[in-house]
Formats: sequence, C-alpha cells, structure tokens
Amino acid sequence: MEEDDVAEAAQEYLDGGYSAFDGIMEGLVDGMNRASRLYEEEEYFVTDVLLCSDAMYAGLDILRPHLPEVSNDDKVTGVIGVVEGDTHDIGKNLVKIMLETAGFNMIDLGRDVPLTKFVETAKEENADFVCMSTLMTTTMGGMKTVIGLLEEAGLRDKVKVMIGGGPISQKYADKIGADGYSQNAVEAVKLAKRLLNIA
Amino acid sequence: MGEMKEFQCTYDNSAGISGEVTEGLNLTFPDAYLHRDTMAVLSKALKEYDNAAFCELPFCHTVEAEAMGGIINYGNEMTGPRAKEYICTAPEELLKLPEIDFSAGRIHEVLMACKMLKGEGEHVVMQVSGPFTVLNVLIDAKYVYKALRKKPELMKEVFRKLGGEIFKFMEEAKRYGADLISYADASGGLNILGPKMVEQVVEDFTYEFLKRAETLADDRTMILLCPKTTFALLGTEKASFREHKLSRPMAYGEGCIEMTGKVKIAGQMCIKNVGYQLENAVLKEVVLV
Repeated sequence: MEEDDVAEAAQEYLDGGYSAFDGIMEGLVDGMNRASRLYEEEEYFVTDVLLCSDAMYAGLDILRPHLPEVSNDDKVTGVIGVVEGDTHDIGKNLVKIMLETAGFNMIDLGRDVPLTKFVETAKEENADFVCMSTLMTTTMGGMKTVIGLLEEAGLRDKVKVMIGGGPISQKYADKIGADGYSQNAVEAVKLAKRLLNIA
Repeated sequence: MGEMKEFQCTYDNSAGISGEVTEGLNLTFPDAYLHRDTMAVLSKALKEYDNAAFCELPFCHTVEAEAMGGIINYGNEMTGPRAKEYICTAPEELLKLPEIDFSAGRIHEVLMACKMLKGEGEHVVMQVSGPFTVLNVLIDAKYVYKALRKKPELMKEVFRKLGGEIFKFMEEAKRYGADLISYADASGGLNILGPKMVEQVVEDFTYEFLKRAETLADDRTMILLCPKTTFALLGTEKASFREHKLSRPMAYGEGCIEMTGKVKIAGQMCIKNVGYQLENAVLKEVVLV
C-alpha cells in the first residue's frame, strides 16, 4: 500500500474507534516485518524496503498521537550513524528502520558523523547501544576510535557497540573490540536483541 | 532476461587517498584536492603506492555533482572530498541544475591534472560517475528511489540530463588525454535496486548511454566499466563478452592499456583492483548488442 493510502487507512481505522496501539503493532509493524522477511529472502530490495518504511511512518504519524503517553525512558535506546569521512547511508537507514520497527528508540546522527558525536550523544541520551557503519576502508578506523572514546568516557561497560558496512567483518569487529557485527539490517535486529538480552 | 550476477566490491584493492599515501608529500589538505599540480602529485603517489600501471583521477565521486551546484566537504589527508549537504529535495529540481562548465572550478583542475600527467608520459584513468552516484551528492537517495517507482518518466528526463553532462565529461577527459575512461555507478547496483529496477535503468538509460560512450573509444582511448554495470548489461542481454588474447599474463590495468585500440569497452574487473592478474592472458571485451 502506498504511503497516502496508509495514512488514509490509519485515519479511517482511528475514526472507527479502534486502538492506535493495535493498529501500529498488528498493522504497520506487522507489515514492515513482512517487508523485512521478504528483504531477507531477496524478494524485496533496498528500494522496496524504503518505500514500505515511508508507508509505515506515514501511518505512524496518524496513529502515534493517539497512543497513551509512554516515556522513551522505557525503551531501549540506540545511537546510529555513518562514521566521519563517509556519506554512504543507505545501509544505515535500513538498519535504523528495522530497529525502530523492532521497538528500539533510535537516535539517528546521519552520515559523516564526527566521532566524538557518537560518544556525546550516547552519554546525553543514556543510550544502551551504538551502531556505526561505513562503506569505505579509509574511514573504518573511526569505529575503533569511537570505542576508545567510549572507554575514556567511562561508558564502554554500559554501551554495546555494533558495526556494519561493506568492508566490515566479524574479524574486524573482534579486532577493534566491538560487541558485534551484522551483515545486513535484519541481522542487526537479531544482534541488538542478543547483545541486550531482549527476547 | 537472463540471470543477473552481483559483483561484490572487494576491499583489498586501492581505496584511494589515505594517510599512508600522502605521508611525506609535503602537501596541505584539503587544498591539495583543489589544484591541478597537487592533484597530479597525489595521483602519481597513489600509483606508486598501489604499484599500478596508471594514474587515477579524480580521488572522489563529487566532481561532477559539484560542477552542477553540489556542496562538498573537501575533507583532509585521511579522507577525501565528499558530499556535505543536499541541494535538492525533489527530483523535479534536478532538471533545473546548471550545465557543467568544464573551463572552471575543480572539474577543470581535474582535466588539467590529466593533461599534466599525460604530458609526463603517464597512462591516466579518468573515473567518471554514473547518475546514481552523482545524484547521491545532490539529493537524498530515498527521493530518487521513490521517483523511479512513482515517476519513471521524470526520472528518465533526469537521467537524460545527467547522461548528457556525464558524456560531455567523458569527451573532455579524452580531449585532455585520458587513455582509460572508467564509468561506475555502484549506488545503482543490483544489491540496492534489485533485478527489476536494474533492468528498468539499463533499458531507460545505461544501454543507450554506453552506446554513445562507446563512440569515444579509438586507437588511444578505451572505456572501462565497473563490473556491476557489466553484469547488469550481460544479465539484461544487452551485451556479451568477447575474448582477446594478451601477449602474456598481466595485471588487469596493464591488459587494458595493451588492448587500447583493439577493445572498445572492458569491464570484467574493477580497475581499482590493481593487483588483479589476468593469469590466462585473456582480456574480455564488453560488446554491446
């Protein structure tokens, strides 16, 4: 369904007196999870997932104001971004979408993010994990720097670090002391849940 | 449509400018990325560092987009120029961007650096970006992907416009002495677009564009394709491979230089994979149907 149609359907759903929470979980999130599954099965590609996520967010914009007030303090928070020097953000955007769909509160720092910004934001937002990506070998060293900065800030024990991107591997994650590596956005959700002991 | 293969970019090849390459060159950054003489010095240093058969220009994928109004962060000695912020929020705006002026700005310096290197007896590979890569500097990719699905006619126009500018850059590169003109558009690869959309892009743009680019190949100029593009053409049955015997086993780049004049388009391997050896002494020409 296209995003305009989703917004219309969400409004009709609300007007019908149904629960916004159920609409989100059983409608929008379920739909996005199906898109994720199709992506994993290589039926859907990046472009399809992005279009689905636009539709999901359009529906969320309608339904979310009708949810009971829930503080973000109750949610597991992650900070995500493409490390400094790199502007390739397609993979990062997918990971963010999938993690948000899975219920994480994601703070997106965007692309070409100064390395200190990851640490500052993790501290400010009391984040549980940091996700970093890059598609370039020349910038992957920045991930190690961030891990070092988290240690210096005394945050390393409470903040899990996940990394991904074209040249990144489990071997590289082990080498720099990251907590985990995922090859794609669907795996990133599984990894985050595993690292944070979420069922 | 036949089976479309994915070419996985490898990362054990030349990754471009890094602190290791620039050490000892006595250059200041990002200034060195902006001027013909320092570009030439950097390009030669990179060639020597990679032990390559050729010099490469430019060092980033932002030159074309900058010449069309894109905003660039020039970077430092560790990482090169990259996109700073987008100047368009709707694909319609892309049609209003100015034509490239090849006589001014960084793109002119790139061409002049090419001329300088050629004058010093170097083989020069000019790295030219395809439309998705250029667009990545100008507009958030999500608007491009959405428009491809919802406004295909508009995107055809956008590709036509960008294709015209990219072709002119290739023409200029040839005029300024580039031996090998490399065309790549990894941002529009199979892993991102999926097979249906890749087929659409090949039909709407890539094939006709490359038929035109092919006319630039002659006894001193060859067109190189990123293997992602090659596989898209093969998978849509718009091209086939024709094998050419080399004088001996050699690196891919050397093979391209040896076959210039005999082969119009090559594209079996990434030109940045400088260590890749053609052990069977065969270079595969990409023959467009």
